[in-house]
Amino acid sequence: MMTRSTNALTRTVTQGVRLGLVPIAMAFLFGCTGANVVVETVVPSPLVDRLPVRVGVFFDESLKGYVHEETLEDHGNFRIELGSVQVPVFERVFDALFEEAVALSTMEAGDGVEAIIVPVFEELQFAIPAQTRSQFFEVWIKYRIDVYDPGGELLAQWPLPAYGKSNERNFGFMEDSKGSGLTEASVRALRDAAARLSFYFPRVPEIADLVEEA
Amino acid sequence: MRDLYLRVGPSRAACARAPLLKALLIGAIGLSAMLLSGCVTATVQQVREAHTGIGEDDRVVVLGRRHKSRNETETDFIHCVSDQITKKSDGVKVMTENEFVDSVFPWFEPLTAPLDVDDLTNVISRPLVAERIDEIGVRYLVWIEGDTVRSSEAGRLTCNIISGAIPACIGFLSWDSDSNYEASIWDVKSGIHAGRVSAEASGTSFVPAVVVPIPIIAQVRQSACTGLSDQLREFLASES
Repeated sequence: MMTRSTNALTRTVTQGVRLGLVPIAMAFLFGCTGANVVVETVVPSPLVDRLPVRVGVFFDESLKGYVHEETLEDHGNFRIELGSVQVPVFERVFDALFEEAVALSTMEAGDGVEAIIVPVFEELQFAIPAQTRSQFFEVWIKYRIDVYDPGGELLAQWPLPAYGKSNERNFGFMEDSKGSGLTEASVRALRDAAARLSFYFPRVPEIADLVEEA
Repeated sequence: MRDLYLRVGPSRAACARAPLLKALLIGAIGLSAMLLSGCVTATVQQVREAHTGIGEDDRVVVLGRRHKSRNETETDFIHCVSDQITKKSDGVKVMTENEFVDSVFPWFEPLTAPLDVDDLTNVISRPLVAERIDEIGVRYLVWIEGDTVRSSEAGRLTCNIISGAIPACIGFLSWDSDSNYEASIWDVKSGIHAGRVSAEASGTSFVPAVVVPIPIIAQVRQSACTGLSDQLREFLASES
């Protein structure tokens, strides 16, 4: 009986030490280490009316391999790898948006399509709560959607901004909140890009003209 | 219209004895201390604007507002309300927030989610969206706003490494937490606002430390979650 009580006390003290000191240790561990994030997500197919247009889509290498690297003073090195996830996001939206969206290996391979669409990555910015004194990790992405006719002549350049945020209070003290927060904010930014593209791209005059001609 | 007030947890009078409790807690470090939690008071209110009731195939979705730049409801809280309605209900089927927003993408993203029932009517007037909502059987949308904040932090706790590399802490910390949440219930089938349920909870947490820190945490958010989900379940299932 005595042994059991002693064991219980030892266990309690150990738990207490853990509860009290682990947060301090985690703060040291995650406090200024930055984050290394590889963004992975599957954006659902948008529920939108399909446009009766056949388009070719060309993804250039800068979009496919994009990695953002930045050092924040007092907060460490940050690396956000977006490259591999962007192509499937755009493909999913264009597949839902157009009667047919054909992936092109080159800009010259657009025979039989009515327009060629080229998503261009322009910029990524992020902020962590310690910088903005808010409770959010935030990610801003700026894309540009270039529209060409089948002969390769530029018809339109449409800006596509996207924003995602993630509440730091959604992560426990044991979690690497910078990594998890930036991952979630990036995923939300990609969803925002997909949502904006689904809603507003059909209203671009040059796309609306193609629909009218179809 | 009917208002209902509920109170759970110890009374405010019990909480007013906090200074005495603080003194007792410092002397009571031991096995029992690990089992203590701070006192919490919670109040739940309901305003009904329309009849509800739920059919066998109807489902409910609990959603958080994501368009605001501050006081965003914690994801854990949304999951908690969703889980508690599912666990304790007899007949209320809950669809997860992620499953719902994915199935109607992109109509319930922060950029596009309807802010009132008029917006909702516009969204579900689109054949593709109406067909999908019908397919997944969603009858009620429960939008939750609000959060839990800490206030009145006091005290100091210092930890040092003493001889033999043994860590030791001494001091006393306390803080108050306040939860304030409101749920708006939309009837998707009728396109109306069926009512509101709100939950407020507050409590004080303590961490006394004599060598070992002993956190005695007031489960404020959990109390608000329990109060809100119990009332929501009753609201949805009741036909009055």
